Amino acid sequence: MAESEEEVDVLVQRVVKDINNAFKRNPNIDEIGLIPCPEVRYNRSPIVLVENKLGVESWCVKFLLPYVHNRLLLYRQRKQWLDREALVDITCTLLLLNPDFTTAWNVRKELLQCGVLNPEKDLYLVKLALSKHPKSPETWIHRRWVLQWLQKECSPSGQELKDQAEPRGDAVGRRPCERLQRALQEEMRVCADAAGRYPSNYNAWSHRIWVLQNMAKGNLKVLHDELSSTRLWVSMHLSDHSGFHYRQHLLKALARELSQVGETELHPSKQPNGESTAGASDDNHHNDVIPQLFHEEMELCTDLIESFPGHETLWCHRRHVFYLWHQWRREHLQGAGSQSPPLTHTDVLLSEEPCDDSSTSQTMDVDCVLDGSKHGSYTQDTKRLKRGPLLPHPALPSEHTFVSRILTDCRSTEQNRFAIAYRKWLDSVIGFHDPYMQRPRHITLIFLAP
Amino acid sequence: MRTRAAKTCHVARPVSQFSTAYSLGSNECVRLQFFSLLSESDNGNLILQGTQVKDVVIKPDAPYTLLLDKHADYIAAYGSKKDDYEYTLSEYLRMSGIYWGLTVMDLMGQLSRMNRQEIIEFTKSCQHDCGGISASIGHDPHLLYTLSAVQTLSLYDSINVIDVDKVVDYVKGLQQEDGSFAGDKWGEIDTRFSFCAVATLALLGQLDVINMDKAVEFVLSCMNFDGGFGCKPGSESHAGQIYCCTGFLSITGQLHQVNADLLGWWLCERQLPSGGLNGRPEKLPDVCYSWWVLASLKIIGRIHWIDKAKLRNFILACQDEETGGFADRPGDMVDPFHTLFGVAGLSLLGDEQIKPVNPVFCMPEDVLQRIGLQPDLLS
Repeated sequence: MAESEEEVDVLVQRVVKDINNAFKRNPNIDEIGLIPCPEVRYNRSPIVLVENKLGVESWCVKFLLPYVHNRLLLYRQRKQWLDREALVDITCTLLLLNPDFTTAWNVRKELLQCGVLNPEKDLYLVKLALSKHPKSPETWIHRRWVLQWLQKECSPSGQELKDQAEPRGDAVGRRPCERLQRALQEEMRVCADAAGRYPSNYNAWSHRIWVLQNMAKGNLKVLHDELSSTRLWVSMHLSDHSGFHYRQHLLKALARELSQVGETELHPSKQPNGESTAGASDDNHHNDVIPQLFHEEMELCTDLIESFPGHETLWCHRRHVFYLWHQWRREHLQGAGSQSPPLTHTDVLLSEEPCDDSSTSQTMDVDCVLDGSKHGSYTQDTKRLKRGPLLPHPALPSEHTFVSRILTDCRSTEQNRFAIAYRKWLDSVIGFHDPYMQRPRHITLIFLAP
Repeated sequence: MRTRAAKTCHVARPVSQFSTAYSLGSNECVRLQFFSLLSESDNGNLILQGTQVKDVVIKPDAPYTLLLDKHADYIAAYGSKKDDYEYTLSEYLRMSGIYWGLTVMDLMGQLSRMNRQEIIEFTKSCQHDCGGISASIGHDPHLLYTLSAVQTLSLYDSINVIDVDKVVDYVKGLQQEDGSFAGDKWGEIDTRFSFCAVATLALLGQLDVINMDKAVEFVLSCMNFDGGFGCKPGSESHAGQIYCCTGFLSITGQLHQVNADLLGWWLCERQLPSGGLNGRPEKLPDVCYSWWVLASLKIIGRIHWIDKAKLRNFILACQDEETGGFADRPGDMVDPFHTLFGVAGLSLLGDEQIKPVNPVFCMPEDVLQRIGLQPDLLS
């Protein structure tokens, strides 16, 4: 049945109205989707609202999309005027159908800037669009823009969590103020939903990291909470490389923040926001917390690797966590000075390690130092933690033991392959190379290409 | 060995989407059994489940010879029905789509089949007053499409139909204080845009207008412990971002800052049993990663670290014998994007039926020679 242009126009305008009326009727719509329905039905609305789900019958989309798409472009080229309400409705429809359409998001940015659109509305539209297109890069980009815009507009000093925290004695337990807390939770929810809709959703998890860096700068409580709340999630999504990377980020951020807290506990006058940190709970508080965090993460990793053989992601996670731990140990044995005086000759060797990139033979010494088996299984860790509980911290020898155990027990060829690759990585990367040194060395790895 | 009671995960279909498995909610534990399980997806692909290797299995009847003529026919006819719904959906990236189509045709020696005049006019009409270029007429300008436009006009040796100085100003204006580049005036930062910026300026011979040191400093700040790069500092390593960053470092003469062995190792771990390459651990292989990963390996001088024969096999299997073109993986729907990267990948692997392709710019080497661009590669 051929449709005249007028018929299509009338139909589409009705559909656009129906969609927007649906939102007015039910502000709690939380998901959109296409309903497979190829049969054209002019006398019935293709918009279906069931509970909080908005459906669009698929037959109308091939009329709807080109119509709203072209109308927006005519407006953009100043060939046809659209009033603000029409712009809002049209961009909304357009973006629900095609959230990668950058220009449509930009029109909404402009509407936001001139006060026509409520930013909460756009956050809501983004969330809805993500329910159907959880990866859409342009959607995430728009969300970040709106959040940044809100930060600038709503708070002259910026919505930095540290500034707006409730005053409390200890830095670790600083609570964000309530509005910010709610905004943060909402972001985490949006990210979690999108992560659950598409495996290893790079854009969702990157956004989550961005939120931490821009809306919760250095807030220890948030970092700790995120570490707890994602633990179960990653255990149920073992292949989700992005999810595990997020935990690596959390550990790195926690280690950094806790170390800084430790510094200011030593030197109260240096606290950046002027708060006094006198009366911090323990001495060397961070020296115990950080190893504990790494220990727990390695334990989680071990548990998952043993229970679910053959997941490359888990082995990658292990590499990264061990690397972060290794880095932290090196930095805090060398740099801390009065905090942890060298207690063994191994520590002395480490602290005397030249930071200059001289000959490669220097690295051999480091390797010997870290290989505790050469010193009767003493590691600098057990020596250093005189006060704290003796946790078996991950170290090269214990990691090698772990690999051997896996290789002995395992039935999966993939697991074997990953275990061997991990061992090679321990030998060649931890043993010989530190990518964070200023001039990375071009050392030929001692094994042949896999 | 400890095990947990595991609920069987039902097969997710189609191959490329695991959304069903993922939307089960937090009450259900999505765990794959570790016994060998072969299942079939909607499009007939065999997926290996349970052995935990996410991969495809190439069927015995998959294409194994290069069907260059079919691909040329596919691209030549693409978009001839311009009011197609699908075509409208992808209009937001049209300029890139044109670059993909033209480049693959040129690589196949078939550029003359494309409508040169129409494309040049179109590109010209996409330049805005600010100097930036948009994906299509009426769309907003962006670095991504500015690069695609400059690449397209370079192929046609017609760069002067646009206002080159304004393009240069536009790109320069997007550099931030920390050396990074925004994609457009709205400010999103991503290492992809660093690549777009220097690639555009290099093609125009005006790399010196930006703060090179700062630009390099930013990209290097995105280098991760595994030697890879992400979109921002601290982001997960990703093959696409790695391509952009190694490309960037090549153009800016800073490849010595890359840890070639470490990165090379990460990159060759992308190769799966089927021969295909993925973009990150435990992702399915995709022909476009056969470009991002392969080109990166070529740039850092480690292309011999992957199994070339198996990769070639995989790429060829992604062809559609009926329609022409390449899909992301065997049996899926074809599109110009994957067609370019399939053909470009084969060129990098040494197929002599295809023109040599430059791994940094993803353009025919002879075009770059004409322009006088010879970006560094490690050996």
